[in-house]
Formats: sequence, structure tokens, C-alpha cells
Amino acid sequence: MSTEAPTTPAPHHLGRRLRIGDLGLRTLTAAAALLAILTIGLLVWEVLRGAHESISTFGLGFLTSTDWNAVTNVFGARYLLEGTLVTSFFALVIAVPLSIAIGLFLSELAPKALRAPVGMLVELLAAIPSVVLGLWGIIVLGPFISTHIEPWLDDHLGFIPLFSGYASNVGVLPACLILTIMVVPIVSSISRELFNSVPADLKQGALALGATRWEMVRQVAIPQVSAGLVAATMLGFARAVGEAIAVAQVIGAHNASPFGSLFKPAGTLASWIATQFSGSATSLQRSSLYYLALILLTISLVTNVAAQLIVRRIQKRMGVRV
Amino acid sequence: MPKLKWLIVPLAVAAVAAGCGGSSSSSSSSSSTGGAGTSSADNSVLVGAGSTFVAPLVAQWEAAYLKTPAAVTITYGAVGSGGGVDAITARSVDFGASDAPLTSDQATACKGCVQIPWALGATTVDYNVQGAPNNLKLTGKVLADIFLGKITSWNDPAIKALNPGASLPATHITPIYRSDGSGTSFVFTDYLSSVDPEWASKVGTSTQPTFPTGTGAEHSSGVIAAMQATNGGITYAETSYIAADSLDYALIQNAAGQYPKPTNGAVLAATTTGTKRPDGTIKLVNPPAANAKAYPLASYTYVIVPKSSPKAATLRAFLNYAVGPTGQAFGPPIGYPALPSSVVAQAKTLIAEIK
Repeated sequence: MSTEAPTTPAPHHLGRRLRIGDLGLRTLTAAAALLAILTIGLLVWEVLRGAHESISTFGLGFLTSTDWNAVTNVFGARYLLEGTLVTSFFALVIAVPLSIAIGLFLSELAPKALRAPVGMLVELLAAIPSVVLGLWGIIVLGPFISTHIEPWLDDHLGFIPLFSGYASNVGVLPACLILTIMVVPIVSSISRELFNSVPADLKQGALALGATRWEMVRQVAIPQVSAGLVAATMLGFARAVGEAIAVAQVIGAHNASPFGSLFKPAGTLASWIATQFSGSATSLQRSSLYYLALILLTISLVTNVAAQLIVRRIQKRMGVRV
Repeated sequence: MPKLKWLIVPLAVAAVAAGCGGSSSSSSSSSSTGGAGTSSADNSVLVGAGSTFVAPLVAQWEAAYLKTPAAVTITYGAVGSGGGVDAITARSVDFGASDAPLTSDQATACKGCVQIPWALGATTVDYNVQGAPNNLKLTGKVLADIFLGKITSWNDPAIKALNPGASLPATHITPIYRSDGSGTSFVFTDYLSSVDPEWASKVGTSTQPTFPTGTGAEHSSGVIAAMQATNGGITYAETSYIAADSLDYALIQNAAGQYPKPTNGAVLAATTTGTKRPDGTIKLVNPPAANAKAYPLASYTYVIVPKSSPKAATLRAFLNYAVGPTGQAFGPPIGYPALPSSVVAQAKTLIAEIK
């Protein structure tokens, strides 16, 4: 380095290094963000282009039509839409309370030594590839459901049409349970982080004022993290809606309404695309599969926007910013 | 040293960009470009994909053809007839295989593809019913009613009438069908449409028909596995699965009132009364009553190749091997009778068109 007078050369060299570094950082990070935006844009463009023939043939009636027939070339998404919504909601209904309980246990109630290993085991559930989970669903879960759970449900709750019918290894019920297993690790690890992030002085203040553990959780911890829990639920929902392979293996690939009986086979948007895409008999069928993809993208967009709105409203009500 | 570390990030970006640029995506669905992807002119390898029906026979050819003086490696992916049609349309493979004729949309998209019969086989109806004997007799109408959902238990009077003396339990029947684009589905529904007008109007013939009832599974291996896991399950798949998995299979009545087993002889008998479709493919299902020994669910399976291919000579050599006496000799032991000589002649004419 040069040994000139201390004031003039030092800022000159430092300034040039800073400017190159800054410029590099800005360019690279902007390029990364642009790449993400470009990917989404090209994806949506490709889906729209593929769906064009189906949209112009069926229009919005596609969403209410129940036919899916490659022979007469008539396609409709209603049963698949119902299948997607039923399986995802069912999965959330079971998974979210379960995950909040797991998160609470891991952050508040478990002995300190247990927290890390149990937490890691729950997160390992997320690491299982979905095709392996689907295989387990066919080999283990399906037969277990058809020999033990479905007959029991039919005997005790059979007056409700949803829980009556012939026991089967494949159908809506195994698909719902597989989706539950996939949603739990996501929502539980986020809720554990959320509960850990509640300020300790808030929790201890409540306890000092005489609240029981349960009262502290119910009146301090959960309200504090409710915005985050909503976001976590929406993440879980997105996972459930988009799952194709595992669901395709256990749901039975049948174009029928899931509302008849949980034991019967049905289909979801994602699993239908996965099974039907290769070898579509007609171009209209292929285009209709792109239309299904468009519906899936719209569902994701709507749930994301809804999640953000709910989160913002909760934050406003509580007067805090997460 | 401070200056060198600023090079790491741009170098990494350049490496990633080079990696991404190198692998071209060759399966563009709506616009098929010619010559993209893996079909470069490497004439020591032929890549194919498609029908699961013919996969066991192609596996035999793979092993044997490598040992011939031509020494070409054949790689075949049994992704289903539908997948095979998609793959050859996108020219990401050198040949596709399908048991079903190309639909008009598929033929247009494939741009100058020719379908050549290269094997002969049969579809069998397999079932898994605890307490019922093997080789239950079924007519085409009863089979159609089962898959239409009109016959729902194994001790239905219609099945009992065909099998007097057989012990039939009251198990619920679960029809299991192919959920992916399948040439075997085409053959099965082609047969049912021929024997049952109600099936023809309600469901029709297709590689992906909408079955009114039952559950779907992917690929022949999937439907067989699903059937084995379901008491009362019934499905359709190629003959080779019966021996391989010791399955119970049904005897289907042919138009002459006989119940032939799906032997090579019965399948060959069906070829004598094949009817040609407008696109050159041949329909063998539901042979007329005069053909008393014919198995009703026989079918040819086709290899789909583009008329102009960068590997034309290699393809012609392999396909001539496959339809010729050496290739066809592998078939009979595993349930694929040799092609009749008239069909071999027709195939060779079509093969000669590949340039």
C-alpha cells in the first residue's frame, strides 16, 4: 500500500473498494430477486398459454361442471376442486390444534432436556419425501384404515353418510391423514418458534400476577402469536393443496364428489394433474389440465393474500408489529 | 487478497449460469421442436419409452441385441402408452411404444409419426377374492356390468349362473382401473364397447376412459398391487402378470360361447379375424363367432417412430431385428406369440419408410 499523507489516500482507496462492493452487492441481490420474479412470471405465462384452449371452450363453467371425459371431450373441475378443499381443510382441522399443542409442549412444558430431540424428531417428519410417504400410505396406512378405522367409524358414526360405506384402502380418508402428517411438521416448528419468541417478561408478569400456566398460555402467549399462527396455518394449507404424488397414490383417482363418503375414492387438482398429464388423448384434455393448474395457482394466490390481510388486521388490533 | 475474494461470487454465478445453459429442456408440450434433447446422432444407443404391456419383451430384446454384431444399447422406460406418445412427440426419445392407436390430436402433434406393430399379446382380467376359485367364467356383458357398477358383489346371481357349483363369497366387488394414459385401458374398453352397447354409450373406448365406479392406480404394476391389497378387487393387465405373481384370472367368453385360456394359440387364433382401422392399426378384440378358439382380448402393440429420424439406420436395424424371427422368438415363452407373417411383412414395409 502507498505511504502518502494519511488523510487524502485513505478515503480515496476505501471509497473505491466500498463502491465496487456496494455495486456488486446491489447487482447480485437485484439479479436474484429478478430471477424469482421472472420465474413466476414465465410460469404463469406458460400455464395461461396452455390453458387457453380449455378456457375458451368452457369458460368459468369449467369450475361447476362435473364431467371429466376424454371420449366425449368434456371436462370440468368441480369434483376435483371439492376434493382439494375437503382434503386440505380436514388435514388443517386435525393438524393445526395438534401442531399448536406440539409447539406449546416443546416451548413451555417439556423438560429442557427433551426439547431438542423431540423437536428434531417432529421436524424429521418434514424431511420424508412425499413419494415415500405415499408408499407408506399404500402399504401400511391404507390397510390399517380399511381393517380398523373405517369399520369402527361405520359402526359408530354410520348414520352420518360421510362415515358410512365399504371400507377401502384408498379414498379420501387416507389422503386426509397423509396430508395431516405433511402439515404437522411445518405448523408445529413455526409455532414452537413463535411461542419461544413471546417476551419472557410478559409471560413471567402473568405468572407473577397469579395466573396458572394454562391461563398464561390462553391469555398471553396465544394472543401474542396469533398473527404468526395464522400465517403458519396458511403455509400448511398451501402445502396440503399442492401435494400431488402422495395424494395420487392413496386417493384412488376417481372423479367423484368427496362429500358422499370419506371412504370412497376421489381426486384432487394436484393429484389429477400428476396422473393424467402424460399421454393426454386430446389437446383439449391437456389444455384442461393446464386449466386445473391455473385454478391451483389462483387458490395459492388467494390464500396468500387472505393470510396477509388477516395478519395485518390482527396486528392492527393488537397495536404491535411482529 | 481483498481483491481476489470479490471474484468468487461472480465466478460462482458464471458457473451456475453455464450449468443451466447446458441442459436444454427437451419436453416442450405445445410446440414440438425436432432434434432437441437426447436424440443426438449417437448411434450406439437407442432410447425408447412407452407401453408397460410390451415392457417384458423389450427387456429381452435389450439384453440380446447388445450381444449382436450391431451392439446397440437399447434403453426403454415403461412409463405407459400415454407417456410414450408424449415422449416421441417431443422427440426426447428415439422410439415410443403404445398399445392404442394415436388419436387424431396425437397424430397431428407427433408430426409424421408411423405406428408399426411389433408384438402380439393379450389382456387378462385378474381378480383377488378370498374363498373363490381360480378361472371364474365371465361373459363380456357381465364384465361390463361389473365395471359399470351394476353388479356389486361376487355372489351376484349373474356370476353364479355362469359358475354353477363354485363357492362365491358375498364380498363387495372393487373394480380397479388404470388412472394414467394406458393402451391396456384402450384394449379393454374397446372390447367392452364391442360386446355391450350400454358400455359403448356410457363410457366408450379410450386410453383414459372415465370409469363410472372403482379406484384408479398408475401403471400395470400399480393396478396389480392395488388388486392384491383389496379383497374383492378385479382389474385388467397383460398376461405376463399371471405367472409372475400367481394371480387368479377370469375366463372370458368369446363370441362362439367358448371360454379359451389366454394361451399363445388362442391369441394367434384371434389374429386370423383382425379388422383394419382407417389409420392402419388392427383391431383384434371380440373376434366373430366363426373363430371358435380365439381369445377375445388379444391386441397388437405398436412402436411409434418418426418418419425422419437422425438415427434412421440404427432404428431400422433394431426394428427389423425385433419383428424378425430372432426377436419374435423371445415372445412365446413369456406370453407374446410370434407375429403372423402377413403382419411382419406389413411391419417391414413401414420400417423401410424410416429415413
